[in-house]
Amino acid sequence: MKIEQNNRIEEMLNSIDGCRKATAPDFFYTRLKARMEKEILKPVAQKWILRPAFAAIALMLVLLVNGFVLLQKNQTDDNLNIAVSETETMQSIASEYSLNVSNSLYDLTQEK
Amino acid sequence: MNEQELIQGLRNGDEAAFKHLVETHQDRVFNTAIGIVQNAEDAEDVAQEVFIQVYKSIHTFKGESKLSTWLYRITTTRCLDLLRSRKSKKRFGFMQRLFEEGVEPVYEIPDFNHPGIALDRKENSAKLFKAISQLPENQKVAFTLHKLEDLSYQEVSDVMKTSVPAVESLMHRAKLNLRKLLEKEVE
Repeated sequence: MKIEQNNRIEEMLNSIDGCRKATAPDFFYTRLKARMEKEILKPVAQKWILRPAFAAIALMLVLLVNGFVLLQKNQTDDNLNIAVSETETMQSIASEYSLNVSNSLYDLTQEK
Repeated sequence: MNEQELIQGLRNGDEAAFKHLVETHQDRVFNTAIGIVQNAEDAEDVAQEVFIQVYKSIHTFKGESKLSTWLYRITTTRCLDLLRSRKSKKRFGFMQRLFEEGVEPVYEIPDFNHPGIALDRKENSAKLFKAISQLPENQKVAFTLHKLEDLSYQEVSDVMKTSVPAVESLMHRAKLNLRKLLEKEVE
């Protein structure tokens, strides 16, 4: 039984001895050339987008724009606060000295 | 055209030299690839990638080894890359099936029949190729180059950038492992 098993294994192990070599499919060069034209010549224009240097610069630009926008927003808020506080001071002075100014328009067409 | 002229022609971007290279070496590249990846379409893909890489990186070829040795080296590396990506796709597919319903199982490659094997040996060789596919990478490469491409141990060692005793050891371990794997088939 053991001998038979060994013979079977030997048969399997030797099954590829002296086998014919596989040959490349027909028109291999034509297909290769077509693939090369597609892969090597065309994507050159788009390849620069994938370069790490481009990615890093793009990221820096985004961060720079973000930072600039945030800075601008803070400045606008500060200006607004100053304007609001100035108005409040003027209003408090006006009310203290009873200097209320009416903003209502006079209707010139109306007879007294 | 001798090898030096061929290399010079390739470096100059000569199309005739490239065509000569492809036509001279396409069969050995394809035969090595089909032995390792065990699928004709994948082997053709690998063979094409090998020649594209040669075209792109001929300037890095120092000429320390033969052009055919360099081609074998690129071929085996590409084949192993493909096998690794196949394995990771299979693993990813398995994980996806665990967590998502309705995901189709990853396509399993059926038993491989080498086109050069005689009909009466096909059944046995299919079992042997199945066992070869389960060998560790180095043993698989050494066994395929020696058995299918008829390279000597010296040539295999040049391709694998190792010593002849190391190749002998790889072949010995490969045969032991194949024997163990085939024992399971016979039982």
